Amino acid sequence: MRPSLPRLALLVPAAMLATACASTSQPQGQVPDKPWKQIVADADGQVVDLWMYGGDDRGNAYVDDVLAPAAEKLGVTLRRVPIADTKDALRRMFAEKAAGETSGKVDLVWVNGDNFATGRQADAWLCGWSQRLPNMTYVAPDDALVTQDFGTDVNGCESPWHKAQFTFAYDSARVANPPVTFDGLLAWAEDHPGRFTYPAPPDFTGSVFVRQALYATAGGADQVPSIYGEAAYDQLTPSLWQRLDELAPSLWRQGRTYPRDAAALDRLYANGEVDMTMTYGPATLTELVANGTFPSSTRVLTLQDGTVGNASFLGIPSTSGDQEGAMVVANLALSPAQQAAKADPATWGQFTALDLDRLSATDRGRFDRLPRSPVVPPYEVLSKNAVPELASGWVGPLDEGWRREVLGAGS
Amino acid sequence: MTHSATERHRATPALALVLLVTGAGLVSVLATSLGLFPLFGPARLSIQGYAEASADLRLAIRESFVIAISSTVLAAAAGLLLGTVVLVFSRHRWLVGGLAAGVVAVPHLVGAASVDLLIGDTGLLPRILGLGPERWPDLVGGAWPAATVLEFAWKESAFVGVVVIATVGRRLTDLLEVAAVLGAGPWRRWSRVLVPSALPAVAGSAMIVFVYTVGSYEVPWLLGRSYPEPLPVMAYRLFGSIDLTARPQAAATAVVGAAVAGATVLLVWLFTLGHRRAHGSSGR
Repeated sequence: MRPSLPRLALLVPAAMLATACASTSQPQGQVPDKPWKQIVADADGQVVDLWMYGGDDRGNAYVDDVLAPAAEKLGVTLRRVPIADTKDALRRMFAEKAAGETSGKVDLVWVNGDNFATGRQADAWLCGWSQRLPNMTYVAPDDALVTQDFGTDVNGCESPWHKAQFTFAYDSARVANPPVTFDGLLAWAEDHPGRFTYPAPPDFTGSVFVRQALYATAGGADQVPSIYGEAAYDQLTPSLWQRLDELAPSLWRQGRTYPRDAAALDRLYANGEVDMTMTYGPATLTELVANGTFPSSTRVLTLQDGTVGNASFLGIPSTSGDQEGAMVVANLALSPAQQAAKADPATWGQFTALDLDRLSATDRGRFDRLPRSPVVPPYEVLSKNAVPELASGWVGPLDEGWRREVLGAGS
Repeated sequence: MTHSATERHRATPALALVLLVTGAGLVSVLATSLGLFPLFGPARLSIQGYAEASADLRLAIRESFVIAISSTVLAAAAGLLLGTVVLVFSRHRWLVGGLAAGVVAVPHLVGAASVDLLIGDTGLLPRILGLGPERWPDLVGGAWPAATVLEFAWKESAFVGVVVIATVGRRLTDLLEVAAVLGAGPWRRWSRVLVPSALPAVAGSAMIVFVYTVGSYEVPWLLGRSYPEPLPVMAYRLFGSIDLTARPQAAATAVVGAAVAGATVLLVWLFTLGHRRAHGSSGR
């Protein structure tokens, strides 16, 4: 009668192995072929869980106070699930997929780049739906930022939400002659030892900085093939690592260590330990200056050679149980009214994914009337000469290479 | 004999639960590290995860040992001092004991954030002293994990102290009174009676501290430098890597961490066993 411990101990691995064997891959999720009207009708009463990075108060407020009430009018309850990192949503999706779940808890994910590519790799996204959203007519079909996500074809597996531009910010009270090119920026850092640094990849922002530096050392974005290849990596990266190694002694703490993430760099900037910071979401700068975290003399550095730009998207996991509702919310999020509300610097300040030339005069007026931010110039200025992101295949090797060649060498 | 067998029976449900949870965790981590639980694609047995992580693993083991050994030694010394001094000067025993219990209750994450706010580059202390970041040592994120060790030593010394007070306190009151009657002053009572009796409790709690610091993630993540990193920080970074094929490496790092902790417990246990044999068991 008494439980046998050895037998229990044997049962555990057996159970684990059984689960592992059950996780054979399912065919990629495809949308049921039904007209949009039917999708809207089926969405009525569904509860959509939107998993998104929860560390941006204004993004949270936009979803809770603007997007969710609008969804409620369409009969869809939108719930925001705050996460520390989009990978948390992916982990949950993969676990649900492995368990063969069909009514999963993740219905919509704010995603782009490598997280999207990772999900594609694992066949975890619902595909072939985004081009069917009625509001996609406002998106330029040839917009490279929207048809490709870090070099991965979007293929209807996610719908655009907004655009972003990699941006440097500096304290104009301390930087008298701000540099105007990326090379000039590195030279400025060498002329002002200890006043510049960048977050250590694999941090998202630090990783972009390294890609921006790769474009500069390669002699321009067109010199770097967008799809990753070992030959290109071996040819292009030695000069990149050499340049960053040369730069290191002039960085904060002589480049012996780097801020762990963008938040750590922002803290250094806020404390006046460095004179520049960088972000892929310039929309946050307005608020950080307004609430006094950053000095009021903070300005955006506009580089003539352009910075990296991207778009972020809403994806639907193939395991979601409320796919119709998720599609209705994605369509709503793409409507001119929502896009204009979100672009207001007082709300969230995210650049629209729509092509303004495709809008009606009334809808265009919504964007023309938006107030200007005192810190962040408009998207047209920021995105001037913007260069596309590299394929996500580059990201891992560059991050690893940086750890080995720059971080390892300097410690 | 019958009595102890019944006792053992009563512990079985609890023991089974512990074995189930720990065992399932360890088995799945081990299987992942050997490539048997890929997120997608076919499962294939290989030690590639260990091989690919080996260079970083060596540095991570070193960093983990530096942090765990220094924290354990400091915590054990401070905890022994705290616990025994409180027992000698028994008037304020409840106050100091209560304070130590309070420190034990502080979550490590809160402790780490407080240490950063206190002794970070632009923390409270350098500000009070009027020292700029360039004149303040790199305690947080510097070449030596000073802030990490300080946080562990602070919180874990309270833990060691509480264990010492709880285990030897009541038992020793008579012995201390006898020593006092025989003319031993506070110093002698401390060094001849208290410290020797407290040592087993200190050794036991120090082992827990060591194993805990080897496995702790949040403190070195918040207070340590970005490279080299201790085992748990490395494991978590690899676990969250965009490269899903890095999962076996992450699991391999976790397995190495568990092995380091397990081997230490085993060594200490064997050493104690040998020690007891050599000196004769006291029957405990």
